[in-house]
Amino acid sequence: MSDVGFHLAFWSLSALTIGGALMIIVSRNLIHAVIFLILSFIGVAGLFITLSADFLALVQILVYVGAIAVLMLFAILLTPRAARDNEESLMRYPAMILMGLVIAAGVFVALETDWGPMREGAIGTQAKIIGESLINQYVLPFEIGAVMLTAALVGAIALARQDDEDLPIHTASLIEEGVLPPPDGDAADAPAGPGDDS
Amino acid sequence: MTISLEEYLIVGAILFAIGLYIALSKRNAIGVLMGVELMLNAVNLTLVAFSRFTDTGVALSTQVFVVFIIAVAAAEVAVGLALAMVVYRNRQTVSLDRINLLRW
Repeated sequence: MSDVGFHLAFWSLSALTIGGALMIIVSRNLIHAVIFLILSFIGVAGLFITLSADFLALVQILVYVGAIAVLMLFAILLTPRAARDNEESLMRYPAMILMGLVIAAGVFVALETDWGPMREGAIGTQAKIIGESLINQYVLPFEIGAVMLTAALVGAIALARQDDEDLPIHTASLIEEGVLPPPDGDAADAPAGPGDDS
Repeated sequence: MTISLEEYLIVGAILFAIGLYIALSKRNAIGVLMGVELMLNAVNLTLVAFSRFTDTGVALSTQVFVVFIIAVAAAEVAVGLALAMVVYRNRQTVSLDRINLLRW
């Protein structure tokens, strides 16, 4: 565990992770903040690899970079006037003090505690064992997690769906077929609205 | 000096603290969600570091827990971003200082 390559990997990945997280604080544009968040996620995935957790590193890239970051980008792009700026509120100074306290407490606990006997050498390949324990030992949490994900996604879609309540569906289809004249009010203005901002 | 558990724990603590700072101080609701994600990542890093370095015989159970945490984080961010979109549709803002309808 004392070879140069491991040191290099650990320190550069830690710098990537923490530097990316710090750049989220500094960057003014929220889209840049998401890019730095992706950098930080990739750094954590690399740290997982140095901890011989290769399956989790792949899951990290797949879920965080592939899904969550893209979802955040979509949310930012769908709330256009909502201040792309990434300003800080007046809670900045108490939060800074709290951050310092948490770092101090974490470093103190990490250095002062006797963590017991340490494992020597790396863990082997885990994807097979994790998969088997997910359907044997942890099958109930696995199913609960599946139900939770379904409920969360259905809830998210139900929340984010735009109801067109003053224009029922059959009326809209009739307008499309040319049976009814298009309404002159907000429906005609709606496509032009977002274009004005850019 | 060898890299062992302590270094990973310190990195996790710093990452958690930065996430906490972002979640508390950002004005934009999506920025706050980014801070929450960073905190969850720091917790995952700490758990994986413990599973790698401590000799307890349940190393892969820890990694199963991390898989569950990642699933919960994905569900949380989906609902959170949907809420941010609904708030934006109703109030034309996601700034947490201006969402004050229920303020006393």
